Amino acid sequence: MIYMSSLLKDLRYILLLVQWDLMKIVRRVIFVAMRSTWFVIQVVFFGPVIAQMVNARGIGLDVSSYYNFYLLGIYTSILFTITASRAYDIAEEFEEGIIEYQLSLPMNRKILALGRAIGSGIASTLFTLPMFLTVIILAKEFDLLTIAISIVSALIFSIAISGFVLTTTLSIKSSDATDIIMGVLDAILIRLSTIFYPAVILKNIAPYYYAAIINPLSYLADLLRIFYSFEEFGEIVIVNPEAMASYILGLFIGFTVLAMYVIEKKIEGGGWR
Amino acid sequence: MEVSEVKKLWLTALRDLERFANNKYWLAAQIAMNLADIFIFALVFRGFIKRDIVPDYLQYMTPGAVALASFVAAFSIGREVGMEVRRELVDYLLVLPMKRTTLVFGRILSGMLRGLVYQVPFIVIAMILLSPPTIGKTPILIATSIILTTTMSSLAIAVSTISRDFNIQATFRALTHYLLFFFSNVFYTRKALELRFPQPLPDIINIMPISIAADIYRWCFNYYQSIDIWQKLLALAIWGAILTLIATTIYLRNLTKR
Repeated sequence: MIYMSSLLKDLRYILLLVQWDLMKIVRRVIFVAMRSTWFVIQVVFFGPVIAQMVNARGIGLDVSSYYNFYLLGIYTSILFTITASRAYDIAEEFEEGIIEYQLSLPMNRKILALGRAIGSGIASTLFTLPMFLTVIILAKEFDLLTIAISIVSALIFSIAISGFVLTTTLSIKSSDATDIIMGVLDAILIRLSTIFYPAVILKNIAPYYYAAIINPLSYLADLLRIFYSFEEFGEIVIVNPEAMASYILGLFIGFTVLAMYVIEKKIEGGGWR
Repeated sequence: MEVSEVKKLWLTALRDLERFANNKYWLAAQIAMNLADIFIFALVFRGFIKRDIVPDYLQYMTPGAVALASFVAAFSIGREVGMEVRRELVDYLLVLPMKRTTLVFGRILSGMLRGLVYQVPFIVIAMILLSPPTIGKTPILIATSIILTTTMSSLAIAVSTISRDFNIQATFRALTHYLLFFFSNVFYTRKALELRFPQPLPDIINIMPISIAADIYRWCFNYYQSIDIWQKLLALAIWGAILTLIATTIYLRNLTKR
């Protein structure tokens, strides 16, 4: 009975933290407008032109297949960028003393970490939902089960990245360092993955290929492609679907546990630079 | 001792240039992005792009990245001018003992200098990946950089002073950035555009200032053997003159607008 009551209390705290993150992202109207514009240009203009330029036949695709490949990659990239941008929110909260306030709340710090990671993940996934729907309309994918599995995968990935962002931002405690780390990570990880080009093309440059193999973005992008069409993309994805799903699940568990450990054992108020 | 307006203009520009280093974190992220575009994006796509459309994508894109680099850095002045408008620091600037036109052109000059400083390593990269410009092409390369950075600096300043609201400023800056970035021939050739989009879109993209500058850089670094260089340079100069004039007018007006 006591355990039940404690569990319900923890769940209530998590719910409150999720609400907090949802509220934060809703307020960022201008960020929404800018990211949406970037996405529209990517799918309407940049993607179609790049699809005309690449030698898709060389890897067994045609122009429209490559465009679908690109769409799912772009969705992954925007989900990652928006989740990583939560770092700026967290930095702002630290500057405003909100993190100290949250640390002083009468709740288990593990619950605080879990709630913030889940909240950030849900907020980022919801934010990108219209973009995901645009992608499935453009890619002509209407299978409800596939759509549901894709959204769940995106959510698990986003929670994992949120855990990483929480850990990094709260550990370095510096707005400037957060700015540079997130900016550089965004620039490098998106390009060193299978977002724009399949793994078989990356094999031409061994260091890039190995970087893509450990890059989380490659796994979500290729997993979504496999969900969309195994026949089309089965031969060109980075590893088999089971390994991709396991990787994303491992990432989720690893980064969430790491965030819980850092927030419970390492973080104290103050010291923000 | 009377200080000439030219010296005041120069001092204004130097003050802003010194403050360029304050943006080091923003700059580090921008440099990482520009380098990643060349050494990852273009290098990987080189093995994936059809040879009949672009024979060597790395060599095609690198001069484009030089053009992008100049406008990214020149845009940094827009962020600062926007902040001055928001925090009403413009009132302080207006009481400084200099003409308003001196202040305005000093800020544009500083954006230009920032763009040129930022561009230098990318020019070196282009010289290594393609080939160095000949003696005859060097003045044209310098002139192109000066015109382009001046134009972008003016544009960034004008866009950032349109409103006192940070959100509106950021939106306008981002939209201008996207427009210049994606609607240029930095990433794609005219042939690829023509395969996908009807006229006049490919033609319009080809006469955008970043496209013109990228084409001139490609010629300077010997990617193109021949282009109508004087026509391109004239077109860029016309773009520069028009945008700088409009931007100066907007900045002068917004300095005192309440």
